[in-house]
Amino acid sequence: MKTTLKLTLAAGAMALSAGVAQAGTGDTLKSVQARGQLNCPGDIGSYLGFAEVDDKGVWKGIDIELCRAMTTAIFGDPAKANIVPIDWAQRWPALQSGDIDIVIKASGGTRSRDTELGLQFSMSYYLGTTKVMAHKELNLTSLKDAEGGSICVPASTSTERQVASYLQAKGIKMEIVAIEKNEEVEAAYFSGRCDTYAQWGPVLAIAASQSEAPDSHVLLPDVLALEPEVMIMRQGDDNWVDIANWTLSALLFAEQEGITSANIDEVKANPPTAEIGKFLGATPGMGTGLGLQDDWAYNVIKKVGNYSEIFERSLGQESPYKMPREMTALWNAGGVLFPLVVD
Amino acid sequence: MTASSLPGGQSARLRRLRRDYFGSPLAVLMTLLSAAVIAWIGWFLLDWGVIRATFGADGTQETCVAHGGACWSVIAVRWRVILFGIYPYEEQWRSALACVVVGVVILLSCLPRMWSFGRLALVWVLGTVIFYTLMRGGVLGLVPVNEQQWGGLPLTLFIFVATGIIGMPLAIGLALLRRSEYPVIARVTGWIIDTIRSLPLLSILFTCAIVLPFMLPGFLIGEKLYRVLFGAALFFAAYQAEIIRGGFQGIPKGQEEAAKALGLTYWHRTFRIVLPQAFRLALPATINQFVIAFMETSLIVVVGFMELLAAGNTAFKTGEWKFAYAEVYVFIAAIYFAFVFGLSRYGAYLEARMNVGHRKD
Repeated sequence: MKTTLKLTLAAGAMALSAGVAQAGTGDTLKSVQARGQLNCPGDIGSYLGFAEVDDKGVWKGIDIELCRAMTTAIFGDPAKANIVPIDWAQRWPALQSGDIDIVIKASGGTRSRDTELGLQFSMSYYLGTTKVMAHKELNLTSLKDAEGGSICVPASTSTERQVASYLQAKGIKMEIVAIEKNEEVEAAYFSGRCDTYAQWGPVLAIAASQSEAPDSHVLLPDVLALEPEVMIMRQGDDNWVDIANWTLSALLFAEQEGITSANIDEVKANPPTAEIGKFLGATPGMGTGLGLQDDWAYNVIKKVGNYSEIFERSLGQESPYKMPREMTALWNAGGVLFPLVVD
Repeated sequence: MTASSLPGGQSARLRRLRRDYFGSPLAVLMTLLSAAVIAWIGWFLLDWGVIRATFGADGTQETCVAHGGACWSVIAVRWRVILFGIYPYEEQWRSALACVVVGVVILLSCLPRMWSFGRLALVWVLGTVIFYTLMRGGVLGLVPVNEQQWGGLPLTLFIFVATGIIGMPLAIGLALLRRSEYPVIARVTGWIIDTIRSLPLLSILFTCAIVLPFMLPGFLIGEKLYRVLFGAALFFAAYQAEIIRGGFQGIPKGQEEAAKALGLTYWHRTFRIVLPQAFRLALPATINQFVIAFMETSLIVVVGFMELLAAGNTAFKTGEWKFAYAEVYVFIAAIYFAFVFGLSRYGAYLEARMNVGHRKD
C-alpha cells in the first residue's frame, strides 16, 4: 500500500508542478518576510539525528538546525522557524503548494527531482552513503564474504534497489529479506534473522550505537551508493537558492576560520582578515546582494553556531549517536565539504 | 440472572456454571485448555508489564534492559509528547483543558435529558468555541498556536468530534435526498454517495489537504485542518447515509402512508415518524460507524498532522528511547481502547433503553 500511495502522490505532485507558476526571483523571500516565519518540514514521528522531538516537544536535529540557521539569516531570530510536521511522501506537494518554503529533510539531489518535479537544489550539506552492517562473529571483511547469507533491507525504499543492483553487479548471491518498518528491520537483524543489514549510513550508525551490544557489530567497507543531501526549493527563485547556499557557506566558513558562537564577539571586535570583517558585518556588503542585513552571518553563528557545533549536537559527540564526521568533515580535515569564497 | 435473586439462587448459578463449562468431556477439555491459554498470556503480561518492568522517570536503556521487562520510564519521561505532540510546552495546560472540555461535551450529550435540539446545540456551540479559543489562542492574552502545532489527544478528539458533528447532519440530508420522490434528485444523490464510498479515505484526505488549494479561489482555501475535516466528514456522511437508508427501509410503508392520509406535512412525517424509527433501527450500525471513525482519525497523519498515534511515534523515535516502542504502542492502545470500549458500552446502553420503549409498544 505504501508504494501505491507514494506513486499516487508522486504522480499528483508531477501533475501539479506542471500547472504551478514558477516562483519568480525574490518572491519566496518576500512572502517569508511578510509572513514573519520560515516554514520548514519536520517529520511525522522522527528521523533520528535529523529531525526529532525532545522531552518538551521542541524539534532538534541537523535538518532542523539548518532551518533555524536560514531563519536567523532572514530574521535574526531562530525562534521564527516554523517546523511543520510533514511525512516523506508529502514534502514535494507541500513545497509546490507553498505550505513550506524549503525542503530540508535528508533528501538527496536526484535527476527526476531536478528535471521532472520542477525543483532546484542548494549545495550538499551532508553526504549519506548506503552501507552494510554485519554480526561480528561472522568475521566478514566485505559483502563478498557473505555470499549465500541473508541481508535485511527496508522494503520499497531506494536502499532495497541499491542492494539488489549492487549484489547483481558484484555477482553476489544473497537472500534479500525486505521488511516494511525500520524498527522491524532492525529487530530482525539484531535477533539474528539476517546475517547483514543494509541501510542509509546514518541510520545504520545510530542503530549500532543504540543496540544492546554496540561492539558485536561491524560496518563492512562496501559503499553501495552515495546520496548527497541537499536543501530543495521550487524552481525559478534564484535569490532563494542564493540564500540557502550562503547560509550553508556561512556555517562552513565559520568552522573553517574557527569562529564559534562562543568566540564570535571577540573575533568581530578584532577581525583577523578583511574577509572575516566583511563576513561578520563589521564592514558592509555581506547582505546587500541577498536582500538581507549585513550582519546576517554574525547572527547565524552567534545564535545557532557553526557547522561543527550543529553537527556535534545533532549527530556527533554531544548527541547520543556519537557519529564521526568522516566525509562530512571540511576539506582541510579529510572531508568533502567546503564553503564558497567570501570576498 | 433472575435465578440469583430467587431463594437458592447461589446453587442454581453453580449448576448452570457446571452445565455450561463442564457438561461433556469435550467441554471440560476446552475449558481447561482455554483457561491455560488465558493464564499463560496473563502471566506473560503480568511478568513483562509489572514484575520485571521498570517504572519512574529515572529509568534508562541500561536499567530497563537489566530488568528485562517493560520500560514504562519512556511513558514517564515522554508522556507529554505522546499526549500533546509538538504543542508549545508552556501552553500544554491549554491542550489538557481542551481535552477535558471535549470530554464534558461528549458526556453531556450522552445524557438522555440533554436530548433536545436547543440544549445539544448550546452545549456543542459553547464547547466548540471554548475548545477553539483554548487551542488556537490569540485572544484573552493567550499566545496564538497555529493549527499545524496541534497534536496528540486533543487533535484526535477534535477530528473525531468534528467528523461526527458535521458528518451526521450531512448524512441525514443525503439519506433524505436519496429517497426523494423526484428521480433526478434521488439519482444524483445516490451517484454522489456511491462515488464517495468508492474512493479510499486516504485519497479524499490527500485531495482536500494538498490538491484543493490549487483549484479553489484564495478566500475559500482556509486552514488545511478544516479542509481535511470536511473531507473526513464527507466520507463519514456517505457511509452513515447508507446506514440511515437501511433504517428507512426497515419501517413499514404503511406508516408513512397513514401519516399522509392524516394530512401531516413532509417535515412532520419525516422528523416525528420516520427518522426516529430509522435511527432506532440503524443504531447498532451507527455506533459501529462511530467506532470506525474514531480509529480512522489516525489516517490524518498522512497529510501532516501529529495525531495521537503519530505523536506516540515521535515520542519513542529518539536516541534515548527508540528501543521502547512496544511500551509506547501499548500505552496508546490503552487510550484507544478506553474510548472505543466506552463508546460501545454506551451503544449497548442505548439499545437496551430503546428496546424497553419498543417492548411497551
